[in-house]
Amino acid sequence: MNISDPTETFRQEARELLEQLEAGLLDLEQDPSNGDLINSAFRALHTIKGSGAMFGFTAVAEFVHEFETAFDQVRKGQSHANAALIEVALDAKDHIHLLIETPEAQVDGGEAILANLRSVIAGGAPSKAVSAAKTPETAASTDPSPVPVVKSTWRLEFYLPSDALIYGTNPILLLEELAQIGPTSVTALTDRVPELKALDPEVPYIGWRVDIEAEDPTAAIDDVFLFLRDNMELSLTRLDTPPASQASAAPAQTTTAAPTEPEPVPAPKAAAPSASASSPSPKPKAPAGADSADRAGASSLRVPAERLDELMDRVGELVIAQARLSQIAGLSSDTALKTIAEELERLSSGLRDTTMGIRMVPIGTLFSRFRRLVHDLSGELGKPIEFITTGEETELDKTMIERLADPLVHLIRNAVDHGLESAEKRAAAGKPAKGVVRLSAVYSGAEVSISVTDDGAGLDTARIRAKAEENGLITPETKLTDQELHHLIFAPGFSTAKEVTSLSGRGVGMDVVKRTIDGLRGTIDVISRPGEGSTMTLRLPLTLAIIDGMLVRVGNGRYTIPLAAVEECVELPEGIEAHAKGRNFLDIRGALVPYLRLREVFGTTAEPEPHQKVVIVSSGEGRVGLVVDQIIGNNQTVIKQLSKLHSGIKSFSGATILGDGTVALILDTAHLVAAGQSYVDRNITGRAA
Amino acid sequence: MTKTILTIDDSASIRQMVAMTLTAAGLDVIEAGNGAEGYDKATTNTVHAILTDLNMPVLNGIEFIRKYRQHPSSKGIPIILLTTESDEELKRQAKEAGATGWIVKPFKQDQLLAIIKKVTGA
Amino acid sequence: MSQAQEHQPESMTALTIRLDDELFAVEAGRVREILDLVPVTEVPNAPDFVGGLINVRGRVVPLADLRVMFGMNRPEPDEDTRIVVMEVDMDGEPTIAGILADKVHDVTVIEAASIEEAPKVGMRWRPEFIKGIGKRNGGFIIIPNMERIFETPGARTAPVTASEERPAS
Repeated sequence: MNISDPTETFRQEARELLEQLEAGLLDLEQDPSNGDLINSAFRALHTIKGSGAMFGFTAVAEFVHEFETAFDQVRKGQSHANAALIEVALDAKDHIHLLIETPEAQVDGGEAILANLRSVIAGGAPSKAVSAAKTPETAASTDPSPVPVVKSTWRLEFYLPSDALIYGTNPILLLEELAQIGPTSVTALTDRVPELKALDPEVPYIGWRVDIEAEDPTAAIDDVFLFLRDNMELSLTRLDTPPASQASAAPAQTTTAAPTEPEPVPAPKAAAPSASASSPSPKPKAPAGADSADRAGASSLRVPAERLDELMDRVGELVIAQARLSQIAGLSSDTALKTIAEELERLSSGLRDTTMGIRMVPIGTLFSRFRRLVHDLSGELGKPIEFITTGEETELDKTMIERLADPLVHLIRNAVDHGLESAEKRAAAGKPAKGVVRLSAVYSGAEVSISVTDDGAGLDTARIRAKAEENGLITPETKLTDQELHHLIFAPGFSTAKEVTSLSGRGVGMDVVKRTIDGLRGTIDVISRPGEGSTMTLRLPLTLAIIDGMLVRVGNGRYTIPLAAVEECVELPEGIEAHAKGRNFLDIRGALVPYLRLREVFGTTAEPEPHQKVVIVSSGEGRVGLVVDQIIGNNQTVIKQLSKLHSGIKSFSGATILGDGTVALILDTAHLVAAGQSYVDRNITGRAA
Repeated sequence: MTKTILTIDDSASIRQMVAMTLTAAGLDVIEAGNGAEGYDKATTNTVHAILTDLNMPVLNGIEFIRKYRQHPSSKGIPIILLTTESDEELKRQAKEAGATGWIVKPFKQDQLLAIIKKVTGA
Repeated sequence: MSQAQEHQPESMTALTIRLDDELFAVEAGRVREILDLVPVTEVPNAPDFVGGLINVRGRVVPLADLRVMFGMNRPEPDEDTRIVVMEVDMDGEPTIAGILADKVHDVTVIEAASIEEAPKVGMRWRPEFIKGIGKRNGGFIIIPNMERIFETPGARTAPVTASEERPAS
């Protein structure tokens, strides 16, 4: 249903255009003579101006006008897109954004930016930046006859251009319009109609004589023939005037009725439209920007996020009900029931996949925002930076992407501010002058891995140690591995930045990042090598509200394991402890995989199953075997969040409702893998059993 | 018979506004986001008039008009070009390509309705 | 033992429930429903106070046993046992939780005048968990301070077991 407000649509559109513009400007900085980029910047400004005026955003239209002109000049080769122009254009983009979001507020700063623009342009052709004056309605008409007070009869005779019919002009409509002016009497002039043989039915041979009674129909008649005046034949005379003007006698009189509309002062734009085949920003780096113009053409729909959430809830409830039905059908001997239950399971699974798909958004939309960030940071800190992104097409749930924005901004800031060294230091270390910051996203099992890498100086473990001791986090005697020292940076209040720069170093950053990631049920890892750089990796569950789960039994309780994390299932070998001498390892085709007895983890007292099973799950690089009493089967699992009372328990990432109506907890595989890993780190030095 | 108007514009907000204005006046509206899509829609649907923007990706307004006019179904169909420029040269080109008329942006809704009425009688 | 009251407690429309051998009152306005005993899923490594989860119309709801917080006996459930599903403020956010009750009595108004503050000493229970004590029919009704009870750190975080330890986070 299309009830939404076009003004709001314009705002959304403008936001996209501004993003596109920014991406284009950033690209243009790297490649200033790229015609396609220039054109797309011009087009974006042009559209914002035009649509802005349409929807009442006159301040925006006026502000943008000068920029549009500036880029038009660049487009025509009259000036260049130098760094200064791009800078001021980026400022302008911010200002336009403000104007659009808060049109009621008095937004200052516009004048300053415009003044800046003018000085940047000074030297080139001065832009005749008069405000976009609307074209007034047609003014002067041709007929010089004085306007009588009294109504008189006017004779209009006209012939249409030969392509008029084909090009959509309908003489009947013209005559009807003329009839609106006053009482008319119409005669067809057939003098030009050829013989049948030569007659082309698509050519308007017939002329018309229309006698109109009116005071002064000249303006009105101009209006009727608004589109045709230039190439039609038209004559208008006043019949009651003394016979001096015999003009009407000769039908072939051509009176070009071409009033000159007062042109607005700005230099007439080149009529030839810009090379339209170019799609903006051909580089793969900013796919979001490049696609939005095409997206406008492709069929898409805007839906309020709440509706998607509602849809998801409904689908979730459907899945639960279907699971119950499947269970009942499983116990029944009614074949018809069984068949329908199976069909329903297939359908609800499909529905689930489709609905999930709707909420998934490529992370590239987030990545492209960061380009501007890195660009600004690079300027502020005076560090040249190469920003590389990969995996833009990796899709995440929409809500997750929004919550990742802040943590990622922080990590990038840290990488640039603390990670990358100054140009001199880099030169001294034999590194290329441009620091590299790499942002990547990739799927791995039931998770997505997002990394921020820099090739800077790496974490200074000595400084971290000193700071930690200073803050009382550890004592001087505490032995910690480098890995553990790295993790200290996530402790609250921790910051080794020697000064508090405006960007980071306030000591509130990394622990907030960690908390946000924890809140998303994710983990954050640090790999750092002195002199070489650091990589921060976020691992997040693809928090799809409905997933495929593997149901297992541990003692009297049933638990669900996300199927995407499950690699395989094996039997726990008999008497394994005896052989392993207390080290809990499995040999899986030559690799050692630690295992956890969930009975122990959960403190189960019920009788154990004689043949325990092991479910091998993976998370990131690690694996762990989860020993359970029984593997029950697979099911569709609707994830329900745990309340605050239980969300702190790390083994569980949520709960679900099974087909029989009972609650089952969902295991947090990432946590369990880490637990298995720490067991390894703690007790094993890597020797096989 | 209800007349159908095709509106071609890469700005969704303009299309929306046009659609709302015209459907409120009892017309049917089809939309397209660029000249190429416009061509497809124009040649596969019954349209009684076409409103097209000038600056669009893929195929711009004038290119669309030129291409469309080569298709037999375009005969007699009025095409109105939306333009922000009252450039005589542009208008001449448009007419040469086969446009019937134009509207200058920004325009008010009643201006739009007036032009549509003018060329379709609806 | 009544004390000078700095602030007068307000009168309360209460649902009275029995826990072990004591009467308690919870705000009737916050009660969503009252269920018969349903299957409870045990949450391993959760504190005793909130050791289980139940399914309430498709929602996963924690089950709280107030008897734990008050150090009371916990008799086995019988045919009188009910679960009172109600809204509780946890850290300022309203959350749905189920409260185990050995028996549910009725809804009654406890007048402000009959509510006294809990004595600071000489009581079985920790006074900060009690909002006040009301009198009715010659007996006492304990009005628990739900926000405080559900706020206690022990109520929320899980003890870390040996096999789950992680390095300094």
